[in-house]
Amino acid sequence: MIIASSAAPPGARSVDAMAPPTSRAHRLLLPARQFGTVIGLVALCAVLWILTPHFLTVSNLLNVAEQTSINAIVAVGMTFVILSAGIDLSVGSIVAIAGVVLGTALQAGQPLVVALALGVATGFACGLANGALISWGGLPPFIVTLGTMSIARGAALLFTEGRPISGFDAGFRVLATGRAGFVPAPVIVMGIVYAAAHFVLTRTTFGRYVYAIGGNEEATRLSGVPVRFHKTMIYGVSGLMSATAAVILTARLNSAQPIAGMMYELDAIAATVIGGTSLMGGDGTLGGTLVGALIMGVLRNGLNLLGVSSFLQQIVIGGVIVVAVLLDTVLKRRNRT
Amino acid sequence: MSGRAPVLEMRGISKTFPGVVALDGVDFTLHAGDVHMLLGENGAGKSTLMKILSGACGKDAGEIRVNGRPAAIDSPGDALALGIRVIYQELNLVPQLSVAENIFLGAAPTRWGGVVDWRTLYGNTSRLLGDLGMTLDPGASVSRLGLAQRQMVEIAKALNNSDASILVMDEPTSSLTSREVAQLFSLIERLSSRGVAIVYITHRLDEVFRIGRRITVMRDGRHITTRPIADVTVSELVRLMANRDLTEHFPKVRAERGPELLRVERVSRRGALTDITFSLHAGEVLGIAGLLGAGRTELARVIAGADRLHEGRLLVDGREVRFRGPADAIARGIGLLPEDRKAQGLVAGLTVARNIALPHGRRLSRLGVLPRHCEVRVAKPIGEELRVKATPTQAVRLLSGGNQQKVVLGKWLAGDVRIFIFDEPTRGIDVGAKVEIYHLINRLTARGAGIIMISSELPELLGMSDRILVMHRGRIQTEIEAADATEEGVLAAALGLAS
Repeated sequence: MIIASSAAPPGARSVDAMAPPTSRAHRLLLPARQFGTVIGLVALCAVLWILTPHFLTVSNLLNVAEQTSINAIVAVGMTFVILSAGIDLSVGSIVAIAGVVLGTALQAGQPLVVALALGVATGFACGLANGALISWGGLPPFIVTLGTMSIARGAALLFTEGRPISGFDAGFRVLATGRAGFVPAPVIVMGIVYAAAHFVLTRTTFGRYVYAIGGNEEATRLSGVPVRFHKTMIYGVSGLMSATAAVILTARLNSAQPIAGMMYELDAIAATVIGGTSLMGGDGTLGGTLVGALIMGVLRNGLNLLGVSSFLQQIVIGGVIVVAVLLDTVLKRRNRT
Repeated sequence: MSGRAPVLEMRGISKTFPGVVALDGVDFTLHAGDVHMLLGENGAGKSTLMKILSGACGKDAGEIRVNGRPAAIDSPGDALALGIRVIYQELNLVPQLSVAENIFLGAAPTRWGGVVDWRTLYGNTSRLLGDLGMTLDPGASVSRLGLAQRQMVEIAKALNNSDASILVMDEPTSSLTSREVAQLFSLIERLSSRGVAIVYITHRLDEVFRIGRRITVMRDGRHITTRPIADVTVSELVRLMANRDLTEHFPKVRAERGPELLRVERVSRRGALTDITFSLHAGEVLGIAGLLGAGRTELARVIAGADRLHEGRLLVDGREVRFRGPADAIARGIGLLPEDRKAQGLVAGLTVARNIALPHGRRLSRLGVLPRHCEVRVAKPIGEELRVKATPTQAVRLLSGGNQQKVVLGKWLAGDVRIFIFDEPTRGIDVGAKVEIYHLINRLTARGAGIIMISSELPELLGMSDRILVMHRGRIQTEIEAADATEEGVLAAALGLAS
């Protein structure tokens, strides 16, 4: 039995009447979670500053930023993928194959622009292939990118017969060795990539769809969003980011190596989750990922300065990953109930 | 009943979520053998109160006594130990396992330190099911059971320990057919006569009077009243819940019947739909009745481009259309309000504005870039029209069911949709929000939209439709003018009895 009224119910509150306290509280809580990682980074820096005077020098900090740049750029693509509730295990192998194509083109005497375009296109194409198999083939991202990880690595080794391609023009190496004022070129590239990716993620329809697909793919599809196309593009972005990292890595090492980029996928996933992005998708920010990458970079640098053995370093970094995500989970749970 | 101490006493329970007072000093008392109906609009605090009782969520203030003794309930385990069992709307069964395995999940009888003793397991299950008057095969796989039977399994699982003294059911009939409902009610009667105290949360007032002994009404996080069922009338109950006089019946306003918007011709989809033909006109509400599994949702999904049709054709404005996906249907002005708003309607983590604007990204953006605040600008007037109790920048996850449903509706009000498909538009939402949706339907038809409304609530279907199609096993059994329709007639057709 249902009974209905025609007049406006007197008890109904207007749209805004009850909302401000909720949204204000929410606005205050969300950044608090972001600050959590920033505070972690600052605290880490403070501890290292006390333990070793070399840490807080301009040259060392720039060094950290430069070393972080490659992982940070790969992690941009990983963040897109994880936000969409996917995973990309092939980023490290794509770094290798994109680098090898770039290096081969440069050695063959191709103009710099053509060589760069070829390298970047290789990475993008690998990513699109991943995305297409996932969206249209209906395969799990884990399986598809695991396959690509092996295929791309094998292709890079086959193509180079396992040998590195070394020795490039200074005009190319400037991408790693150049400086604008005192800022190293890789750090500038990283800044540009983050600014552009942040704009895409927050201000474009594509960015919205990344979050929406990760939050609820079926609801997004029923809203008329071409989900398959956009999922394909998300993996394309990841491949593009890997290729960008490959350019910097190749310039830095003055060598394109088929074994480059080993384990990059794990570093990128670590930076993303330390930065607070949920592996369930739909929740996270690029700012968090940058902080996550910096935490890992600072930790490695600091442990090196302290003379900690590389074996022990692995243990410490593993612990930091687990603790960071644990803290994030606890904070989220507290916010929710 | 009044002489003994109550089974459960909750006193002065308060709970605050960030920015929202969910419960404000609520008292709730329950006696053995009671069938206690807990009523209130969505967001009134019923679910939160029960979550506190079940240990799923902590309380800020207040006291709980079970059988007269103070009880500290800090986790679901504490609540279980006190004999409190909750059956949620979403069932928690493992579909791949058998009825017996589910009932004794984690507590299966074993021999030789770990080997399941199947004979005892099935024996115990048969005895338990017999005790409860259920006719289920202990060895049947749960995946083969219907929803009502799964619910029975859930109840048997809740009661497999003899110490269960309080059983909470949250909208247990929302997806049951009327025969299944009758089965459930006779089970409730039996449990109550054995002394189990039952808390029953529902939005269906007819059920309240069929099985309720006492009622408690909550509103805006406060306890309003508790009294025996004999001391309350339907209209009084609605007034208590909504705090407003709801005097009129369904507010149906007939709109002028315009040109044909949609024609469905001999549409079939293997295993779901057979030879469906009908048309929808502007200004018309076409109701679709049928039992669960009759093909109503499948039909909605085919028209909305979510699923392919295998035979037949669709015509919009007299021209044939082929949909490769929902985007194509939306481009032709068809919007679907899906059956399950959480799984299909909303992205819970996104804001109200971003959900409403989700289908309109291409229109709102320039070269893929969204102008600042464009989503809020689109969503704000829609939120106001639908009286969504939230700001555009609030996450949808934090909204009550009725408000969430309004957000899903809002997605289609923001665009050029003229053919609305509402699949169970008022399921699980409160009386006030229901009425607002009925008014919205009137406004849409007055503007020349056509509406296909699928509903399992016959009064609503009869009250709001112009015509009613009754489906049975994937076919259209009959078509009835709403003015001539009776609940009995529609039900008979849905059961396949008449043609």
